[in-house]
Amino acid sequence: MDSLITAAARALAVGDALGALKRVALRDDAPALALRGIAMAQLGDLVRAKALLKSAARAFGPREAVARARCVVAEAEIALVSRDLTWPPKALEAARKVLEAHGDRVNAAHARNVELRRLVLIGRLDEAERALETLDPTPLPPAAKAAHELVVAGIAIRRLQTKAARAALDRARQAAREAGMPVLTAEVENAARVLSAPVARLISRWRESPLLLEEVEELLGAGALVVDACRHVVRDDQLSVSLATRPVLFALARALAEAWPGDMARGTLIARAFRGKHADESHRARLRVEIGRLRAELQALVEVSATKRGFALSPQRAGETVVLAPLVEGQHGAVLAFLADGEAWSSSALAIALGASPRTVQRALDSLAGEGKVQSFGRGRGRRWMSPPLPGFPTILLLPGPLPSD
Amino acid sequence: MKKSAATIIREYGPFPGAERVNGVTFDGEHVWFASGDRLNALDPASGEVVRSIEVASHAGTAFDGTFLYQIAEDVIHKIDPKTGRILSTIPAPGNGGDSGLAWAEGSLWVGQHRGRRIHQIDPETGKILRTIESNRVVTGVTWVDGQLWHGTWEGDDSDVRRIDPETGEVLERLEMPEGTGVSGLESDGADCFFCGGGASGKVRAISRPAQGKEGKGK
Repeated sequence: MDSLITAAARALAVGDALGALKRVALRDDAPALALRGIAMAQLGDLVRAKALLKSAARAFGPREAVARARCVVAEAEIALVSRDLTWPPKALEAARKVLEAHGDRVNAAHARNVELRRLVLIGRLDEAERALETLDPTPLPPAAKAAHELVVAGIAIRRLQTKAARAALDRARQAAREAGMPVLTAEVENAARVLSAPVARLISRWRESPLLLEEVEELLGAGALVVDACRHVVRDDQLSVSLATRPVLFALARALAEAWPGDMARGTLIARAFRGKHADESHRARLRVEIGRLRAELQALVEVSATKRGFALSPQRAGETVVLAPLVEGQHGAVLAFLADGEAWSSSALAIALGASPRTVQRALDSLAGEGKVQSFGRGRGRRWMSPPLPGFPTILLLPGPLPSD
Repeated sequence: MKKSAATIIREYGPFPGAERVNGVTFDGEHVWFASGDRLNALDPASGEVVRSIEVASHAGTAFDGTFLYQIAEDVIHKIDPKTGRILSTIPAPGNGGDSGLAWAEGSLWVGQHRGRRIHQIDPETGKILRTIESNRVVTGVTWVDGQLWHGTWEGDDSDVRRIDPETGEVLERLEMPEGTGVSGLESDGADCFFCGGGASGKVRAISRPAQGKEGKGK
C-alpha cells in the first residue's frame, strides 16, 4: 500500500469515511477506487459505491486476486442490502473460494455470511440451513459475528424454534456489544422484540388470547387440531393440509373450528364463507357442495358431520380444536397467508396461486406494504414479495477490510 | 539475473498497538518502523521496542545519519529523532502514491508504488532529480554498498530485488516465501536487510547474499 492509501484505510477503519474520501478522491488506481467505493457505501450512496467497486475489481492486476475478490464480496453485500437480486451469486461464490484458497479466513467467512443472508432473504431456508453448517463464524470480527447470529436467529424464528432463536440473539447481542456499534445493538434489540411481543391470537371455544412465538411453538407441538389462519393450513402434530388456494374452504374450516366442540348453523356458515347476508336455497346447495369438498380435503385430519342446524368438526386424533389467527386481521388475509411460508413471491405468481387478477393482488400487496406487513425487494419483473419482515438484515454494511493487496 | 529464495534470519513482532508496518529504517543501533501514527525504535538484539515518536507514518521511512524522514499522506517530514519534532516538510514526488524511502548520496530516493518507479529527489525542496523505472510495484527502497535494492509485493508474490540504478534492469532477486510481503526495506549496512511485513505487523531480517567483486552497479 502507498502512503495515501494507508492513510485513507486508517480513516475508514475508524469510521471516518469523509476523511478517507478526501485523501483518495482524485485517484483512479485500483486500491483508491476500492477505498472510495467502501467509503461511498458507508455514506449511503450504494449506486456509486457499486460502480466504484466494480471498476476497482477490474483495475486490480492479475496477481491481486485477493484484493479483487474482496471488491466482489463488498459489491455482493451492497447488492444484498439494496435488495438487488439480479446480482450473480456465482461471482460471490467464486470470490469466496479465492479468499479461502489464499488463507483470508475473515473475508471468506464474511463472504459465506453474505451468501447465507441472501438465501434467507429469498426464503430458501433449507439451503440456508445447509450453508450454515459449512460456515465457521469463529474468524469473523464482532460486527460480522453479530450479523451472522441475526441470520441464525432469523432462520430459527421462521422455523418456530424459539430456544435456538433466543440463544442466537443472545450471541448477537454479545457480539454487537464487543463491536461497540450502537447501530448494531439497536438492530439486535429490534429483532429480539419478535420474541417478547405477541405474534398471533389463539381462538378456542369462542375465547381469544394473544400468543407469544414460543407459545405458538408449544401449541403446534401439543397435539391439538390447529386451524392456522396465519398460513391457511389445517394441521395436527402428524399432518398438515394447506387450504391457501381455497379461501372458501378455509373460511368454513375456521368457522367450524371456532364453534368446536359445538356446531355452527348453516346461516352463519353461509354468511362467513360466502359473505351473503341471507341464506337462500341456492346458498344452501352451494354450502353442501363446499362442505363435501372440505370433507374430502381434510378427511385424514378431521371428520365434518352434519347436525340438525348445521355442521360440526370432530378431529380424528387430536383432543382439542383451536384457531390460530393473526394479531390483526385485514381484508388481505389470503395474500398474507400465502406469504407466511417465508418464500419470496412475484405478484404474478401470487395471482395465479390465489386465482385472483394480477391487479387485485398488486393492490393488496401495495396496501399491505403500506401497513408494513409485507416487504418487497428487487425491481421490475424481478420484484419479489415476502412477509413478515425478517430480522437478520442489518441496514448497515459490514464490508470487508481495507482492500489493497496486503 | 540471479534468483534465489530469501533467507529469513529473524522475525520481530507483531507489536501491541502497531497493526501494520509501513516503512523501516536503521540508524546503526535501532530499527525504526512506521506503524501509522507512530515511529517505533526496535532494538534488533532484544526484539523490544525501546521508544517511539508520535507522528503520522503511512509509508516509507529513512535515516540520513542525523535525522529521520517519514512519508505521511502526500508529504515527507524530516524529524529530529532526539526530540520527535518535525523540522521541515517537502512534497512527496508521487502525490501520496509513494511507498518506499531511502537516503543515499545526499538524496532521498522515493518509491512510487503503482507508478512502478523510484524518484531521486532533493531532500531540501522535494525537486525530482531523476527517475528510475522498475517493472514491479515498489514497496521499499534501500542503498547498500552502491547497490540499489527495492521491495515488491503484489498479491501473493513478493521479493527484494537489486536493480541497475541507470537502466532499471533487474540484476538479482530474493524471493520471499508465499504470503510474506515486503512493505518497507532497509539495509543494516552489512549482510542483512530489514523488511516491513505490512498488515502482519512484523519486521523481518533477511540475509543479503554474499557479495562478489561485482558489488557496485554492473
